[in-house]
Amino acid sequence: MLDKEVYSIALKDTLDEMRNACPDIQNAFIFTETGEILAGDAETPEKVMVRVIDAFDSITERAEAIGGIETITIEGDKGTVTLSRFGENYLITVTSEKADMKYVGTLTRVLIPTVLKVLEKLSPTPTKKPSHMPAETAAEVETEIEPLEVKEEPVEEHAEEAEIEEPSEEVQPKPEPAEPTPETLPMEPQATQLIVENLGGLLVPSDTVRIDSEMLSEWENTFGGKPVELVDIETFDGKTLRCKVKPIKDSKYNGKGVVQMPEKVQLTLEIKKGELVRVKPVFE
Amino acid sequence: MTKKKQVESVAAVAESVAIETVPMEDLKASLEEIKGYDGVIGYILRNSTSAAIDLKDPSKLIEYAILSSSSIDAGEELSELFNLGDVKHIVIGGKNIKVLSLAFGENKISVFLEKNADLEKVLEKLQSFRG
Repeated sequence: MLDKEVYSIALKDTLDEMRNACPDIQNAFIFTETGEILAGDAETPEKVMVRVIDAFDSITERAEAIGGIETITIEGDKGTVTLSRFGENYLITVTSEKADMKYVGTLTRVLIPTVLKVLEKLSPTPTKKPSHMPAETAAEVETEIEPLEVKEEPVEEHAEEAEIEEPSEEVQPKPEPAEPTPETLPMEPQATQLIVENLGGLLVPSDTVRIDSEMLSEWENTFGGKPVELVDIETFDGKTLRCKVKPIKDSKYNGKGVVQMPEKVQLTLEIKKGELVRVKPVFE
Repeated sequence: MTKKKQVESVAAVAESVAIETVPMEDLKASLEEIKGYDGVIGYILRNSTSAAIDLKDPSKLIEYAILSSSSIDAGEELSELFNLGDVKHIVIGGKNIKVLSLAFGENKISVFLEKNADLEKVLEKLQSFRG
């Protein structure tokens, strides 16, 4: 977790310094090829980053035809959006029309790869998380969930079961098994951040959302093979809704970290396509 | 509104349409010329009613068509998101191929070039339609 934080903070500082050195850079952020946001400057809201990643997604998906993406430049009357690839990471910069693009290009081409290389040497690459989840947010989620795992009540009930399922080398030799450790405790359902996608059609039930089948399987495996039929969806404004859940049918959304929602659910939660929600399985 | 003002208004609208809409045939003729430039491997020109496609490797037609349409869509969306004004052009730099996309009103163009081809020359030729 510390590695991720260090990685994210170092990149964020680099982006901020880049903007200080060149004030014509209005926005800058870095994400991985899986769509995970690594760091963004202070001025760019996460929602905006997610929209940008989505907008470029359909291009990067088809990029094999041209040998993979190196750069994308969108030049408008009042500014330019640039996507630059650095290994497995993409840097987005938004510059004003006054910006000296050669200077911006030199700055980013020198600074970002250098910082990424230094970080690679100092700390391993952050582990993969669901798409579009910023490293800092991921750290927060883990922090939030850890105390739940150390609840004392269910320890006695499930400790034996947990030891049978996962005979851990760390747990077995301990002389005092009564001391609860996170490894021996049953896991609480963990909220996952997903991006809202539209779900339409004549026969679409208005109370059912669709999630990646792999994610549903993971949840099922983690929680004793119980099928996941319900999920709790929470928006960042604090609105929650319990819905039925089924696997995504459209293969193009698999592995994209999305939750497909009928219009009615979106209206109830007051959200729309492209926004982030927290989704948690419900085991009743 | 008086008759004179009505005429002036119609004339103004006609002039504005004339600036924004470049005839597809003119664009096609230019693209045919561009196709003769060194390193240009093809183009896609389309509007809501028709399309003209000329690619050296037709097996990649679908991928190229999706790239063309995705790049123009992304350009419009990000231009709105970051208030970039009218999109002048979009350039996708691939490891082997570059794609230059522009929109002239409802006519949308993508030109596919080899990595070392002269993009500026193509851009200059097409930008001349903007006046």
